[in-house]
Parts: sequence; structure tokens; C-alpha cells
Amino acid sequence: MPVFANTDTKVMSAGDSNPAATPTTCEEIHGDGRWLSLHNRFVSDSKDKEPDVLFVGDSLIQLMHQFGVWRELFSPLHALNFGIGGDATQHVLWRLSNGELDNISPKVVVLWVGTNNQGHTAEQICGGILAIVQVIKNKLPLARTLVLGVLPRGKMPNPLRERNALVNQLVAEAVSSLPHASFLSVDPGFVHSDGSISHQDMYDYLHLTPQAYQAVCQPLHGHLKSMLDKPAEN
Amino acid sequence: MSDKPIRPATEPQPVEDVQGDGRWMAQHTRFVQECKDAEPDVLFVGDSMVQLMLQHDIWREMFSPLHALNFGIGGDTTCNVLWRLQNGELDNIKPKVVVLWVGTNNHQHTAEQVAEGILAVAQLLTSRLPKAKVIILGLLPRGERPNPLREKNSAVNGLLRSRLPRPGQVLLLDAGPGLLQPDGSLSQRDMFDFLHLTAAGYAAVAKPLSELLLQILEETPEERRASLV
Ligand SMILES: [Ca+2]
Repeated sequence: MPVFANTDTKVMSAGDSNPAATPTTCEEIHGDGRWLSLHNRFVSDSKDKEPDVLFVGDSLIQLMHQFGVWRELFSPLHALNFGIGGDATQHVLWRLSNGELDNISPKVVVLWVGTNNQGHTAEQICGGILAIVQVIKNKLPLARTLVLGVLPRGKMPNPLRERNALVNQLVAEAVSSLPHASFLSVDPGFVHSDGSISHQDMYDYLHLTPQAYQAVCQPLHGHLKSMLDKPAEN
Repeated sequence: MSDKPIRPATEPQPVEDVQGDGRWMAQHTRFVQECKDAEPDVLFVGDSMVQLMLQHDIWREMFSPLHALNFGIGGDTTCNVLWRLQNGELDNIKPKVVVLWVGTNNHQHTAEQVAEGILAVAQLLTSRLPKAKVIILGLLPRGERPNPLREKNSAVNGLLRSRLPRPGQVLLLDAGPGLLQPDGSLSQRDMFDFLHLTAAGYAAVAKPLSELLLQILEETPEERRASLV
């Protein structure tokens, strides 16, 4: 069983002090051990599964699993869901470095994380996402990573929307030169002409309703099908 | 913030917009607006346990037909719900029943304080809506295995049970015990992250709740019902 002492094992590139790219466990502030329970569950569940697609990330990945869209579109692709609500890039980085990729060899990893990186700059978040892409490359040399763009958030325009948009710009540019990774914007147009986001799409102006998951996942499903049908670029 | 004194669970408090996207206040403002257009018979108020219910079919199947509004905000504590209810979310509406589900996020507070916080919300509701019944949903167990937060939530339920006169205007419905597996674990079939409910978990909770709601709504005398429409 992983212990929290693992937090001290920090894998950082030379001179890098980017907190978003430093593997970190989720602090046990609440005392019910849920984060580590979920991580351990993912590790043990993956031992008898042979997924073609792995979804990993935060609550946007996790909640996808709770609605009809998952069974309808992604279960048939042999997909596993390793989403944990609240996770930032550094938490996903820790999870993937500590067992979640050790028993499986998916062809595609769908990565959706970054909107929870509170206090981090767009550059730091981009660095965190790229660090995750690198860990996936190291652990699963034959897999391709599909990085989903972080979504706009908040009912009206706000600094986090601007930050998330910049994250997408930086990540799209950075992965364009990587043969094992690509970027996909999955925003079907959540921001209306008056700058608002509807609660019909994001019930709390962050998380998606079942209706919005359909709008996001239909094109994503098509994209995944074509990735699975054609041989790897590299 | 750690340098701030801990506020009592009975003190109304808005959520500070630490993330900077104004989501909490945007949701509250929308709820206040909904009060102006809707005539709900049932009001659900609380945290993510209430909020996520709205995203599942069970809401449309069992609660929408009862003319229910959902004022759930993820992460809310008793303090936050108190503030919302005192700042517009009860204006212009006269629900016959309020379903209150909050307290599992009161991490700064002891079981005793959480129970007092929940009772303070219930008291606010009964004073603003003297003819309405209030159903407090008991706090659910959380965490895959036994842990201090489970004990705390269970203690909160025990305190509520002992302090609510029966029969009374405020009722406690504890749907939690059925979720515990024989070995003491919680199943991801019911709680996907060992806190929030799956569609199957909601179905287990919604059944007794729906029965109780129907019972209360049927007890409402015809003439009173007519005057409230
Ligand atoms: Ca590429």
C-alpha cells in the first residue's frame, strides 16, 4: 500500500520548481482517506482489465462515468476511468507515477486536468500537463495521449477563463511537435454571445450536465474511434 | 484561511470566492431569481448531495412531478446554507416541505457543533415557513473503510435524533445505514468516490424520501393546498 512518505520522492527536471509538475499526493485534510482509496482501487482494478482507452483526470473525467454517456459511448471502446474530483496536474502526475499505469497497456490515454490548479499560472499548468504526457510516454511507450482542452468556467467572464484559454493555447502548441500526443478542444461553444455560460450546460458553472456531456463526448468518441482504427503515428 | 478564527456552525457565512470565478454567488443569485418565477411545493436545499441529485433521472422521475426546486451547492456547510436562506432563497416561495441535506462538509466543526448548525437551519426554515414540514436527511457514512468522519457523521445523526421532538414539524430521515456493506465498507456501486452517490445510491435514498414526501403532501388539507397554489 502506498504511504504518504512517497510525497517526498519528487521527480523534477533540472532546475524545475514548478509545483504543477511536481508529483504530489492529495493532502489528507479531511480524514476519510478517500483520495488514496480511489487511487488504490484504480491500481487493483486495472490488474484484471485490458482497456484500450484510459481516461484520467479530475472531476470532469470522474463524473462522465456517472452518466449514460459513458455506457453508451466509451464502455464499448473498452475504457477505464481514473478520474478523481479536485485533482490538479500534480496529483494526476503522482497517481500515474505510482501504479495506475503499471498493469495496463491502453492504446490511447485521454487526459483532462488543469482547471483545479488553484494559484498556478497557465505556464505552470502547461508544464504539469506536459510532465504527465511524459510519464505516460515513459510507462506506455506505444500509447498515444489525447489532451483535452480545459473548459471555460464561471457564469460570466473571469480571470480563470482567461487562464484556461491560455493553458489550451500553450498545450496545443507544445504537443503539436510530439508524435505520441495530440490536443483536442472539446468545447462545443459553452460561452454564449453575451459572455455567459448556461447552467443547462454547467450546473455549477464548472461541472457538466448530462446534456453537455453529450455535446462534449459525441465528437470525442468519433475522434477516439479514428485514433483506434488507424495505427500509431510513431 | 488558517489565520481566521473558526466561526460557529450556526453563523451565516457566504463562501469566499478564493478561486476567482464567482461561481458560488452566481448560483445563489440564480436560485433567488428562480424563487420569483416558481411556486414549488417542495424545496431541496443543501450541498453537493442535493445538487447532484438534480443531474440524475431520479430527479425527473420522483421529485420534479412534486413541483420541487433544487438549491444545492457543492461544498456548502451549514453556515453557507444559513446565509443563502437569509439572503433571498426563501423570498416569494411557500413550499409545503423543505428537504435539508447539509453538514458533511463542516470540517472545522465537532459533531455537536454540526448538529447545532443543522438545527439552526431547520429553525430558520420553520420560523420563515411556519406551515411547512422540514425533512432533515441524515448525514451519510463516507470513506471506503471506517474512519473518524464516519463516526462524526453518525454522531451528528444521533444528536439530531435525540433533539427532535416526535411527532413534530421537523423530521429526520436517515437513509445511510443501508449503504454500509456487511464488512463495514462502502461500495463504489453506491458511492463512486466514497462520498457522492451514484444513480443506484440515489435510488436507494430517494425511495423512502419520496414515500415520506408523498405522505406529507397528502396530509396537507385540500383547502390549504388550494390556497397555496
Ligand atoms: Ca502531436
